[in-house]
Amino acid sequence: MIKIPARVLIVDDEKDFVEIFAMRLEELGETVFSAFSGKECLNFLSENEDIDVVILDIKMPGGMDGIDTLMELKKRFPLVEVLLLTGHGTIETAVKGMKLGAYDYLLKPADFSEIKEKIEGARQRREEQEERIRKAEQRALLRKGGNIY
Amino acid sequence: MTACHSEQKTTDLGVLLVDDEVDFLGTLAKRLDRRGFTVFRASSGPAGLDLLQQQPIDVVVMDVKMPEMDGIETLRHVKQDHCDVEVILLTGNASTADGVEGIKQGAFDYITKPVDIDHLAGKIRQAGDKRRRAEERQREQEQRKQLEQQMMATERLASLGTLSTGVAHEINNPLAMMQEAAGYMRLILEKDEKTVASRRVDLGRALEKIEKGVDRIRRITHLLLGFVRKSGQAYSETDIQALMEETLELMVNEMRDKDIRIQRQMTEDAGIIVSDPYALRQVLINLVTNAAHAIKNEGAITLGLARQQHHVEITVSDTGEGIPKEIVNRIFEPFFSTKPPDKGTGLGLFVTRGIVNRLGGEISVNSAVGHGTTFTVRLPVCPPADDLSTGDADQCDAILQKIKEATDDDKNTGQGADR
Repeated sequence: MIKIPARVLIVDDEKDFVEIFAMRLEELGETVFSAFSGKECLNFLSENEDIDVVILDIKMPGGMDGIDTLMELKKRFPLVEVLLLTGHGTIETAVKGMKLGAYDYLLKPADFSEIKEKIEGARQRREEQEERIRKAEQRALLRKGGNIY
Repeated sequence: MTACHSEQKTTDLGVLLVDDEVDFLGTLAKRLDRRGFTVFRASSGPAGLDLLQQQPIDVVVMDVKMPEMDGIETLRHVKQDHCDVEVILLTGNASTADGVEGIKQGAFDYITKPVDIDHLAGKIRQAGDKRRRAEERQREQEQRKQLEQQMMATERLASLGTLSTGVAHEINNPLAMMQEAAGYMRLILEKDEKTVASRRVDLGRALEKIEKGVDRIRRITHLLLGFVRKSGQAYSETDIQALMEETLELMVNEMRDKDIRIQRQMTEDAGIIVSDPYALRQVLINLVTNAAHAIKNEGAITLGLARQQHHVEITVSDTGEGIPKEIVNRIFEPFFSTKPPDKGTGLGLFVTRGIVNRLGGEISVNSAVGHGTTFTVRLPVCPPADDLSTGDADQCDAILQKIKEATDDDKNTGQGADR
């Protein structure tokens, strides 16, 4: 089975980490973009809503941390899946993140095969969601059509 | 000398009578016994001291004039080995000199013979009360000390907890970077030789990330080691002014990219103290580094040094961005940093404060956004006495003596020592 590449946006203020993480994912065929703050992330998504997964750091400076970003992101781009990846893991942020709709929560340094698995899982979930919406729209359209004819 | 330990008594007051006149001793004992005291008898000073070792005695009533060991001498031994036992001295020929000497040696009171038994019983009760109050005070002090120690331990643990969590978190980030770099290198190295050869640049970049990660973790662990290095603490005569100049030399590189003027406000010879020069150098490096980082492109760093009696005051001021009010209280917390991850560990000021406190000093900060920040370190000329070896203590005395002489000179020439 041919693996469909995911479109991934890495959001982290650790530029060195973002760079090398992106290189590794690209080496495996994923399409990777990067942002270094919550604001940059949201700006990027406004123009690129087709991102499958955002890999989001939690502890970021600049007045908008990962949790704030997740909240805003899910409001504006509900279909984009978010994988929280943090070096500062606490039970509180994990619970909060999941309640806010994150796909999963991983601790740095995370096992790479697990990251790959989660990225693929998130990409598939986004695909399924889109599929469901498409079908629902079709049904709605059909019903509408039925009323007309 | 035996330490002064108090024992709690549940019985009535235990009274020891010491007198070489056996008849008098017998009569007095009977009369005191009738008044509810538990009475022990000894016909000489040494016999009395033996009984004190064995029996629960609160108050000693003792004749001054006795052969072998007189009352004053016996009193001295009693106070030396049982400092919480009260002593009432009795004498037939009241002499002022004996009285003065007795009180000087710690006697509770002095009663002249012939003895009014009710007066004596009253004095014994007063002495017993005094002893009980002293015991209570001591118990309270011990409890307070214990509580303080518990609180300190709790604070230390809390601080250790914050520190360990912080360390784990801060190390996770560079570890993640190193892990990704290593994984990336493996992906490339698993390809054929020709491809590997063509990807040398990529491998080099990944390697660079690993080196950066190691460097970050190394900085964290080294700072922490600096923080906990207690056993290696070595006090010696320390010239703060010389340390400041050394620090500035070390910092030249750090300041190369910016236009930073260095100013000095130092009082001549103000900075000779007994301290740990290695620890103090770290304090200065941390403070000057912060000052340099606070200045964006151009500004001034002022190093100040002044003596205030038995303290020196070191100030490091910058004309940088200043610290906002809402975070100024947090700057000494471990892992609190406003710098980007590759610039600051968030440990600098935490460690700095730890060192300053360990050296018996205090650190404070004064900052105004847009105008700059001043850190003030106040250090004692001599560190806490418990930490000092005899040699250090001698050095301390010598320095304090010099200060005293300088102060006297200032006074003689009409100048104050404090600046």
